[in-house]
Amino acid sequence: MLDDVDLTCEAGEIHALVGENGAGKSTLAGIAAGELSADTGEVLRDGRIGLVHQHFALIDRLCVWENVVLGHEPRRLATIDRETARTFVRQLGERYGLDVDPDALVEDLPVGIRQRVELLRELARNPSILILDEPTAALSPGEVERLFSTIARLTENGVGVLVITHKLDEVFAHAGRVTVLRRGIVVERRPIAEITREQVARAMIGGDIPSIPPHERTNGAVVVRVRELVVPGTIENLSLHIAAGEILGVAGVEGNGQSALADALAGLTPFRGSIERPAAIGIIPQDRLVEAVIPGWSLVENAMLGRERAAAKGSWRIDRAAARAQCTAIVERFDVRTTSIDAPLATLSGGNQQKLVVGRALIDNPAFVIAYNPTRGIDIGATATVHSELLAARNRGAAILLISFELDELFALSDRIVVIARGALRGEFTERRFDRDAIGRLMVNA
Amino acid sequence: MTLSLVLSLLALALVRGTPILLASLGGVLSERAGIVNIALEGEMTAGAFAAALISFFTRDPWIGAIGGVAVGAAVGFALGFAATRWRVDQIVAGMGINLICTGGAAFGLIFVFNQAGVTPQVPAINQELWPLVILGIILAAALQWALSRTPIGLRLRACGENPHAARAAGIDPLAVRLYASAIAGALAGLGGVFLALGELNLYSDGMIAGRGFIALAAVIFGRWTPLGAAGVALIFGLLEALQFALQGNIAWLPSDFLQALPYIAALIALLGASGRYRPPAAEGKPYP
Repeated sequence: MLDDVDLTCEAGEIHALVGENGAGKSTLAGIAAGELSADTGEVLRDGRIGLVHQHFALIDRLCVWENVVLGHEPRRLATIDRETARTFVRQLGERYGLDVDPDALVEDLPVGIRQRVELLRELARNPSILILDEPTAALSPGEVERLFSTIARLTENGVGVLVITHKLDEVFAHAGRVTVLRRGIVVERRPIAEITREQVARAMIGGDIPSIPPHERTNGAVVVRVRELVVPGTIENLSLHIAAGEILGVAGVEGNGQSALADALAGLTPFRGSIERPAAIGIIPQDRLVEAVIPGWSLVENAMLGRERAAAKGSWRIDRAAARAQCTAIVERFDVRTTSIDAPLATLSGGNQQKLVVGRALIDNPAFVIAYNPTRGIDIGATATVHSELLAARNRGAAILLISFELDELFALSDRIVVIARGALRGEFTERRFDRDAIGRLMVNA
Repeated sequence: MTLSLVLSLLALALVRGTPILLASLGGVLSERAGIVNIALEGEMTAGAFAAALISFFTRDPWIGAIGGVAVGAAVGFALGFAATRWRVDQIVAGMGINLICTGGAAFGLIFVFNQAGVTPQVPAINQELWPLVILGIILAAALQWALSRTPIGLRLRACGENPHAARAAGIDPLAVRLYASAIAGALAGLGGVFLALGELNLYSDGMIAGRGFIALAAVIFGRWTPLGAAGVALIFGLLEALQFALQGNIAWLPSDFLQALPYIAALIALLGASGRYRPPAAEGKPYP
């Protein structure tokens, strides 16, 4: 994973660690924080190194203060001193601008607040260095600003902060130094003033950034029509339409009804209201490992999942030869890098797995495509492949619903963007005239 | 029905419910720590058999009782060890332990007493059941308090919900689970002791008669809380008591049906509970 890596983080600095997925950033963070062990080399630290994980490692069914004090509970005789614990959480929150209700149950909290809880938990242990692993992946633009103002307060207090990210905007807006990791090797390390975005991007991928095809104008008839959709508990009265040859982007903070919308359109959840859509649809689900693939099965078998009919002979028998041919077609067209189409899917990197999922959704030229975070957690090269294939499908006349938590992705691909918050559409931006600030405000429904 | 009849029925319910209650408290502890405890039946069997055996040779039922609890704890420790250190599937390990315990007791009867099915009569504590009944109820309340109010209770719950987060907070989930499983075994063993030396004065094959599984149902229906499980266990005790009271009094109802009453109730309770109650999030999942 890592090969002879040196990294320093000084008191009071913000040090950005960037690199593609699989470059070894999270491994390095785990080793630094003492959660993983290295084969050779050592970690020298002055004080504690705290780590805030990308997927927050909180205990959902404990309340905030229980999560924060776990392992070092304030005591009164044999019991936990709850009042002291609550006050401790409140005071720590005030000091760093992380206000949270100490008695809230973590599972009831939205993602942005959960991150505050995780920060509080690490700060409660007085770290001298704090490592944040992809801290902004699930935050709205407003929450990102808030997070960085908290980070600024930390550095004022002498804490060194190592931010792991792949968002270069954030690196150049906030960091003092940047280290670029590629395939487990440090390929670049400089103060931020001495390097450009392009140099960092090129160092990350080890070459030029692949370009995506241009956005041609299309004029199609409306093929997807959703009227007054209600999914109890998540979506209240939502209407939208998508034309053939159009990508409709859905912007929103995670957990505001996007999953229910995608599930209702896919036919996976009961709903009220009406949905008209073509029968032939391709789906790129939001969680690859949970909803899209069976990791232990081969590429051929995974490529058939959900489209078994396409490889059927007669009405019931699977035509192995046809299935293999179709899988090979997907692998070649979508640049899935594998040693064999018979290898278990789990042997592929996340990016290559995702390319297979995208290929499976698009290979039969469906009239309607649901793409839910189609590039989450995959590297720049694979992202470019997925983006250009989605645009190619659009240019062929497919109607595409693109739900994404990455505004950059929505801006790059969408013809039109709607903003979803608390289960309803809060705004629409047409003609590719997208206002980042306005969208950010609508996302948090201010 | 007269008042005295109702009172004696309730008293019988407490006595019949106590072994289930004790085992269900063990079940709550181990499951809240993250270990599915399907081995309660085996732990009760081991406790009952060991108590009868030790009481027979020492002629002291209290030493027998302590021995039964210790053997129950050892069986619980074995389950915990298999589940944490060897990462054995907890259901499989639990079933294995149930088979070993029932089979081992049957074998022990022949090996030690040279007779199948039942031990000779042993010194028992029949006349002193109430302290144990009250102890069970106090234990339920104490565990409820300890789980929510003490550091060790919080840590135990953390291990059952997310052992990785617990680890990051400096807790050793393997140790917590191992000890929780051993204490669970001790409690289930005490339930077995209660049956062998409390209600009866011997061990006989099949005397646990599924009470371990009923205790498991009480854990689930009691939503994994000590007081909830204890309450449900006592309701099962009431059903057992009713079965005794009604037997022979209702001519048209076969006695087999009455005997099946607690089991049918457990089944219906579980059908109602399934899907509605959420078990601890990391229950049954090996760590790391």
